[in-house]
Amino acid sequence: MKYSNPQIPEGINTSEQHPLKEFFMLTTGVLVLIVAAVLLLGFFADKLAHHIPFEVELNIVSKELLDGPEPGPMQSYLEGLTERIVSAQGLSQEMPITVHYVDDDTVNAFATLGGHIYMFRGLLEKLPNENALAMVLAHEIAHVKHRHPIRSLGRGITIGLALSMVSGTLGDMMANQIVSNTGMVTSLTFSRDQERESDKTALETLMVLYGNVVGADQLFVVLQNAEGTMKVPEFFSTHPLSEKRIQHIHAFGRELSASTTTQQATPLPLDFADWLSLETTEKEHE
Amino acid sequence: MIDLIILVTLLALGYGFGSYAESRHYKSIIARENRLRHIPAVTSRFPQMNNNSRDAELVSGSVVISVDYFKRFIAALRNLVGGRVTSYESLVDRARREAILRMKAQAEQLNADIVFNVKLETSSIHKGRGNSIGSVEVLAYGTALKTQQ
Amino acid sequence: MLVTNIEILPDKRIVEHLGLVQGSSVRAKHVGRDIMAGLKNIFGGELKGYTELLQESRAEAMERMIEQAEAVGANAVLNVRFSTSSVAAGAAELFAYGTAVVLE
Repeated sequence: MKYSNPQIPEGINTSEQHPLKEFFMLTTGVLVLIVAAVLLLGFFADKLAHHIPFEVELNIVSKELLDGPEPGPMQSYLEGLTERIVSAQGLSQEMPITVHYVDDDTVNAFATLGGHIYMFRGLLEKLPNENALAMVLAHEIAHVKHRHPIRSLGRGITIGLALSMVSGTLGDMMANQIVSNTGMVTSLTFSRDQERESDKTALETLMVLYGNVVGADQLFVVLQNAEGTMKVPEFFSTHPLSEKRIQHIHAFGRELSASTTTQQATPLPLDFADWLSLETTEKEHE
Repeated sequence: MIDLIILVTLLALGYGFGSYAESRHYKSIIARENRLRHIPAVTSRFPQMNNNSRDAELVSGSVVISVDYFKRFIAALRNLVGGRVTSYESLVDRARREAILRMKAQAEQLNADIVFNVKLETSSIHKGRGNSIGSVEVLAYGTALKTQQ
Repeated sequence: MLVTNIEILPDKRIVEHLGLVQGSSVRAKHVGRDIMAGLKNIFGGELKGYTELLQESRAEAMERMIEQAEAVGANAVLNVRFSTSSVAAGAAELFAYGTAVVLE
């Protein structure tokens, strides 16, 4: 018997593939997979959440939270306008809209579960006429009409759960972050779609109310100014760019050959500015 | 954005230094394997040879090698899609051959000319500390025998 | 190629020992299987996905070991041993090694 020790050729226990090639293939593959999975999950969650009855939404939001301070003139004015918009949009009786005036500098307005809409003083101060204000309200009411709050919630939960399950099995923190960030950025497309849908419904509402879409673009000019020079690419944003939204409004106006000149705008009530400052001064006295 | 810059830097550093270290290590492994070629290592337990063998002694060699960041990143992504984790193949290959070489080097010092009953143990030191991965420890041991005068 | 984990074959004589041959393989299952295994952990029982993973890994490790044995001109691998380790979470590393020999 003989003992020898011949040389074993290299490369049997290792793969030949170049690591850089594998890196690029894996990165693109994984990113494409995540985007596809998020879009698919989001789509189905969205569809399912649509079937949740509105009553459930009403029950989720507790009543105590919503009782604000004594309604001032601004509150009653907003409520009146809301009523007109609701009937113009043809919302069903089962979808009561509750508007809340918030005495705060934030330039914002939002709709949430249970048909609650919050209008901030900061935004109202900047609006030049009633049409622009109606555009804001109609946009938020359209969110409720299309069940956007509950759909976003359902989608957010589904996608978040899926992403956390996936990232739990990953071994690396950075890879983890890339996966969840990609997922989140992808899911924003749903949010932008909802904004576009609401914009469209709001414009149709304005047509019913005023017979024109005057002032609708002014809202976005205000928003554009509030954004300042800091420009976030649309891809990373929950809303479409204000610029694009203005373009859409103009296109919509042209389609219906509705005038967009500001001359025909319905002015805000004469005391509007007083109502705004009234609540502020009251607050200062407290 | 900052995260992305850090990530790219880490990946580039990992790739640069990792592949340099790996090719250097392989060169040294191959050179030493050729030098120690006269000492075979076998898994047989019973030396069936002329009965003048003597001086049996336990020899062992161990090594801990870590994978670079670039390869760890690839492995993490690979974990998502499944399949062969190629970036760890060279890691365990290097670790095993290095451990065997160190065992053989010990045998050489004893003037032995064969190592019997070689066993290899692999463990991952990072195991259990979260999901952090990336280094393997290999222990090779066997009995060195001096068979001929 | 004869692969066995005994070292003395009753009716065969070993002509030449060719030293250690080894084969290893690191493999992972896709994330769906990982998640299913995580869920299965609640109820217990066999994790089919991971059993499959180990089998695939073992088969590949064996293949590679045999490839090495063929490369050095052996016709059998004796005293084969397997060892597993978990180098990465969710990936299985299978290692097979044995002595390559030339049988009569």
